[in-house]
Amino acid sequence: MNLNTFSLALAGLVLAPLLGGVVAGVDRVVTARLQSRLGPPLLQPFYDVGKLWSKVIAPASHWQGLFVRWALAASLASDVLLAAGGDVLMCFFVQAASASFVALGAFCGSSPYSKLGAQRELFQLLAYEPVFMVAILCLAKAAGGFDALSIMAAQGPLLFKLPLLVPGLVFVVLVKLRKSPFDIAASHHMHQEVVRGVYTDYAGRDFALLEIAHWADVTVVLWICSFLWATGPVQMLVTGLVFLFAAVVIDNISARLTWRTMLGRVAPITLILATANLVWLYLE
Amino acid sequence: MIDVYIGLLVLWPVAAGLASLGQRSPATRAALVMATAAVLAAAAVGLATQAPLTASPAFLASATALHVAQAAAFLFPAFFLFQGLKEKHALVIVFALMQLALAAFGEFGLAAPAAVQTAVAVDGLALALVLVVSLVGSLICIFALPYMKHHEEHLHLQTSRQPQFFMILLAFLGFMNGLALSNDLHVFSAFYEATTLCSFLLIGHDQTAEAKQSGLRALWMNSMGGVFLHAGILLIQKQHGLADIQALVNPALWSGMSLLPLALLAVAGCVKAAQLPFQAWLLGAMVAPTPVSALLHSSTMVKVGVFLCLRLAPVFEGTTTGRILTLAGAMTFLGASALALGQSNAKKILAYSTAANLGLIIACAGLGTPLAIAAGTVLLVIHAATKGLLFLCVGDMEQAIGSRDLEDLRAVIAKTPVTALAAVAGSMAMILPPLGMLVGKWAVLEAAAASPVPVVVIAMVMMAVGSALGVVCWVRFSGTLMSGVAVGPQPAHTSPLSTGLTTGPILTLLAGAVGLGMAAPWLNALLLGQGNPLAGGWGLLPPLFIVAMLGWIIGLKVLGRQSQARLATPYLGGLPQAQPGSYVGPLGRNWTLSEGNEYATEFFGEPKLTRLAGIVALALLLALVGGALL
Repeated sequence: MNLNTFSLALAGLVLAPLLGGVVAGVDRVVTARLQSRLGPPLLQPFYDVGKLWSKVIAPASHWQGLFVRWALAASLASDVLLAAGGDVLMCFFVQAASASFVALGAFCGSSPYSKLGAQRELFQLLAYEPVFMVAILCLAKAAGGFDALSIMAAQGPLLFKLPLLVPGLVFVVLVKLRKSPFDIAASHHMHQEVVRGVYTDYAGRDFALLEIAHWADVTVVLWICSFLWATGPVQMLVTGLVFLFAAVVIDNISARLTWRTMLGRVAPITLILATANLVWLYLE
Repeated sequence: MIDVYIGLLVLWPVAAGLASLGQRSPATRAALVMATAAVLAAAAVGLATQAPLTASPAFLASATALHVAQAAAFLFPAFFLFQGLKEKHALVIVFALMQLALAAFGEFGLAAPAAVQTAVAVDGLALALVLVVSLVGSLICIFALPYMKHHEEHLHLQTSRQPQFFMILLAFLGFMNGLALSNDLHVFSAFYEATTLCSFLLIGHDQTAEAKQSGLRALWMNSMGGVFLHAGILLIQKQHGLADIQALVNPALWSGMSLLPLALLAVAGCVKAAQLPFQAWLLGAMVAPTPVSALLHSSTMVKVGVFLCLRLAPVFEGTTTGRILTLAGAMTFLGASALALGQSNAKKILAYSTAANLGLIIACAGLGTPLAIAAGTVLLVIHAATKGLLFLCVGDMEQAIGSRDLEDLRAVIAKTPVTALAAVAGSMAMILPPLGMLVGKWAVLEAAAASPVPVVVIAMVMMAVGSALGVVCWVRFSGTLMSGVAVGPQPAHTSPLSTGLTTGPILTLLAGAVGLGMAAPWLNALLLGQGNPLAGGWGLLPPLFIVAMLGWIIGLKVLGRQSQARLATPYLGGLPQAQPGSYVGPLGRNWTLSEGNEYATEFFGEPKLTRLAGIVALALLLALVGGALL
């Protein structure tokens, strides 16, 4: 590992979660404007996490602190992998590990809502993982390598070779950002039927760390989406923002679907589209 | 010295098995099993230090040995025929007769094949299987000692049937080692039939109606596999006049020739490896005592199938037959993973997951590139340790609470903490990076992506879906074991049934599963014969290990702190009630709380999915044989 890779990795470790926090802030501001509200300041997510950090609350299970930290470690590791130009498929698997730890911690909780949320979280995982993995296979095939560096070094925008990935990636972003219509495992407001689903039993400092892990995840997902137009840093940023904006708009105009619809309809359709794109790449 | 190692590996377990038949004293039996475990471990490690090697020990190479192998081709089917006639089982009779006919044709209708170069050839693959059998298999036999004692107490038997049981169990290990080491197709097929016989006897051991039925099902399916095997061997003998396995797996030998014989051998492998649509025999095997299913699933029986396919793999590289085999393996990976997700029976989850993971290995064999074969072999070894561990854990928890249903195992961590946590660790070892099963899957995907053919794309997509299904299945499995309790009393810690002989193998296998999982890059490099284990993407793994270690340390520290903390009142949308299992909810009423997992049977229901996936898998296997025929 040379010094350059090391500094990139370090930057990924520090900046990626911060970027994710800013994304959450942008999301809240844009959502408020779409709803003709003034909304919170851009840095509100950071204030929220700061406040959570200061709270000492009895845990719902002895195991949750452990799983939260493992989730955070895995999420940050996936950021670092990507920032250092590592293997995108492995980055994906590491991030899936983080999601697994979040669900496991929720299973350990005592509230039935937490366990219900964990079940739904797993069905969400089942719905978006295959299409996300096929999207990465497509990116790797189109760019000629699995590492982030060769994907970012690909000639011209990959979007024109991979148009059928867009619905799938939008679906992944919606799920990972916990946006309607796929905010199935954890609703934003606790007066809804799952309370806060998979997050119900997390509180205080553990929850603050989980929020940071979530930011790190969001960065990874948007980053992988931005590979579709990776001709330069600005283009990548814009591509990521386009995906984010699409997710915010869809969030505001749609109502929650059931996990059955997600698993039975949305997941297969997006997967078939992505597969068609992959086959096409191999036929070329 | 090498001949001594090989002799110990193959003959000692058989001899120890025969000796245990005469032993009614548990202490002597335990001593025999322990001694066998020690001998096998020492001999396997001794052999490993000498590999790669070839040898011709007299007991496998002499004319007498070959005559015995020839006789076995008649004796095993004759015994199967006898069983079929005794139980009036038409399929057993039919396949036994077919085997007899093939054996007769081979003996009298064909010229004898050229003598093999060496009777034993030990390469990375053979050594992997020998180590798995000798280490994992031995640990399972030790676990069987206390388990069978408890099992028989539970059944209230008049006379103990443990002598027969341990005879078969130990001999099984010897036959497996023989199969892994032999380089002569006829000797190989004799050992192959011996494993069929052992599994039949072990599955039917309890002699209940269900056990007998499952045993016969295993017998007819595996004799059908035997028919494919013999047909393939005879065709090879006819085409090439060869029985030397090392000489056969040379792609140059097959250029421009039909791969039909190898396709038949691959189908035989798929039957043994319980691939769809032949998974039924492995599912039936769970009626047997837990050590049997652990042995069949992890270190013996099913590994024969993947071993055979991986053995032939170099010939499959870049061929249509190989690609169809990859598709068939990926189909089983997908179908069996989906079936596992719809199950609440813990042993069925394990069984379907076994079929799925073996499918992944068979997909590797179909790809046939050195990278894919190494990935498949790594998966074979790590799967054996991990699945052996999971079976022992489920067996121990089942004996503790009297049920193997996942819903009854909810929150079992409070009752049997050691076993439950070992099971959780085992499940995590199945899916988490940077451990071996996940890394193997990753290596297969990247090896497949290098293939230029669109057909392989479909296999890759199937692997992607199957992989997600596997993650969900194992997280839910471990989450249910660790589940918190909302209402009612915390389940009491029951006095442990487990003795050192139970937890010993479990903890050793746990260490093995995790250790092997972490050693995957080095195993892979050894198999590929490359100097740098961290070439290519593998260089990512050491940093990931460091992250995992840091996470482990921090996590345990927090666990230590939180385990002292008083827990929060469960959030119920109501108030906890004095009555156990209920709470005061909306309308001031008393609500009973019941929890359960969603098994999504409308998607993953067993009857429909078995039929659907079975038909697709059968079509692929027909295409495998048919395509090679044309």
